[in-house]
Amino acid sequence: MNAVESPSRANRLAPAIADAIAQEMRVDPRVVVWGEDVVISVMGPTKGLAAEFKDRVWNTPISEAAFVGAGVGAAVGGLRPVVDLMFSSFAYVCFDQLVNQAARIRYMAGGRMSVPLVVIAVAGARGANAAQHSEVPTALFLNSGGLRVVFPTTPHQAFWLTRAAIRSDDPTIVMHHPALAATRGTVGSTPLALGEAEVSPTGTDVSILGIGLMASRARAAATTLESQGISAEVVDVCSLSPMPWDAILASVRKTGRALVVDEARLTCSVASEIAAGISEHAFTALKAPVRRLAVPDVPMPFAPNLEEFVVPSEADIVAAVKTLVDA
Amino acid sequence: MAQVADASSPRGMLLETKGVDFMRSLLHIRLFEEALAALTAKGGTAGPIHLSIGEEASAVGVCSTLEPGDQITSTHRSHHHLLARGLEPEGMFAEILGKATGYCRGKGGSCHVAAIHLGAVGANGIVGGGIPIAVGLGIAARETGTNRVAVGFLGDGAANQGVFLESLNLAAIWNVPVIFVCENNGYQEFTTTQSVTAGPGIARRADGYGIPGIVVDGTDVLAVHEVAAEAVRNARAGNGPTLIECRLQRWRGHLEGEEVYSGVYREPAIIGPDTAADPIDLLETALTTSGLDGRALRAQLTQEEHALIEQALVSAQAAPLPEVETALEDVFA
Repeated sequence: MNAVESPSRANRLAPAIADAIAQEMRVDPRVVVWGEDVVISVMGPTKGLAAEFKDRVWNTPISEAAFVGAGVGAAVGGLRPVVDLMFSSFAYVCFDQLVNQAARIRYMAGGRMSVPLVVIAVAGARGANAAQHSEVPTALFLNSGGLRVVFPTTPHQAFWLTRAAIRSDDPTIVMHHPALAATRGTVGSTPLALGEAEVSPTGTDVSILGIGLMASRARAAATTLESQGISAEVVDVCSLSPMPWDAILASVRKTGRALVVDEARLTCSVASEIAAGISEHAFTALKAPVRRLAVPDVPMPFAPNLEEFVVPSEADIVAAVKTLVDA
Repeated sequence: MAQVADASSPRGMLLETKGVDFMRSLLHIRLFEEALAALTAKGGTAGPIHLSIGEEASAVGVCSTLEPGDQITSTHRSHHHLLARGLEPEGMFAEILGKATGYCRGKGGSCHVAAIHLGAVGANGIVGGGIPIAVGLGIAARETGTNRVAVGFLGDGAANQGVFLESLNLAAIWNVPVIFVCENNGYQEFTTTQSVTAGPGIARRADGYGIPGIVVDGTDVLAVHEVAAEAVRNARAGNGPTLIECRLQRWRGHLEGEEVYSGVYREPAIIGPDTAADPIDLLETALTTSGLDGRALRAQLTQEEHALIEQALVSAQAAPLPEVETALEDVFA
């Protein structure tokens, strides 16, 4: 055999999440799935599971606090529940269970209890879902002091990070972007672990650190910049907790310039945290101030042209990089 | 008023087989809480302390129906549940005093004591926070092929949390082996339950979900045990959840030391040992009626438990504080 065989035949992002869950369910009877419409799976991350695992995939009532809380209890009780919240915006409905319970139990128990719970939710704007279905609450999760968070942007990342999330003993949120659900790609044979970033393409002039859809747009921007003679390196921060600081700082130390792109609101965003970390730990390598590009401090507007306006675009990224390189 | 029953009735047989154990457990909790009250009054504890004095019988009545492996979730007022579930007073005191030898290495405190190896998944500082967790424990019990059940203790205040009703629904549709035990002590913090709770009673909320909802005298340990035993049997047999409302009284305030800011918000005459039913008195009377010397038995058990509790407190007080570096541990696996 010439090449190591891919562990998954999934060639799109959401099916790669579903395949990772299916593979774990085949080898681990503790893995169960519940959440809103998980049998049909409108967003795709649990699509097809009910056909194979009829007795382990359950639609829930629209009771986020109860079904996430039940996930917490089931995780403590010996299962590895994968709970689909559908939209990240709905996390606010069950924030007590996510933060006061899931993120606190290990600590409050002095390390003597674990909550191996996975919560899946789409995050980000697509198709005029407006202010209550487009949230990217990454910063709130990171500040909760006890949640792991991943945000894959390719089928490869989605497969490996979902698998890692299920195998983790910590409560882990797997976010995925509705605009990336159909993203094509193959699942490589080299595993990606929690806390790892993917760097592609590599470059020498500037580091673009992207989260979620913004990483995808950063890759497109890098291609455009390349044609204009600017060598951009893209760090896909697909794991947010643990934060892949080594990869982020190594890239910035190499290029000397950093643009952090986030689809969350700017104030206290993860982009802000990354920018602060770079300033603290790689200041002497910087040739220009760190720049952040994020959604302005407004709720996501409804009208498609307004939505498009507030979310950083490929052109916005290209323009921001040029200000850095010209500085 | 406790019913008096002849020895051939189920209640009489329960009294005969478990009455002495129940008396010891009630006293164990009462003396633990009284020691804690005295220590808190002297400034010897840290953080909020919510005592369960007067509510011992619901904890003992319910937990005495459980087997090893069964799991409970609890509330901010949890000491009686945890002691009844089998946690040792020394580890409890140590946790409440913030010592390294506490059940949670000093990271939980009174409101968050947990000992999963003993089936105590934890007290909870969030009113209603533990209820869906109990449902999840019940699901795990079933899906891992065990015969375990879960008990979710809650207070009357939590009965007005949406997650309580969501949890009743979820437990009902999924036929989860979980028993919800609501201790209705008449006060949610500093407000009368009656003034903020609509409808014919908390137990009746079960009717809307098609599950049994039972009201029991929460000061009568025998009655609580009988009701809980049936609920546990049903859950183990795959017949789903039950809601039990234990009516009882909170003799102490919401938390110790509240007088400095709360003023008098309850009628002193209707609260406390003079007028409220005392679970220990009730059991003593029942034991006496059954032919034992209830008073002598109580005196003897009080002496034994008092010595045990005192020793536990002395040991906990002598235990070391946690090393400060441990504050940075245990966030992630």
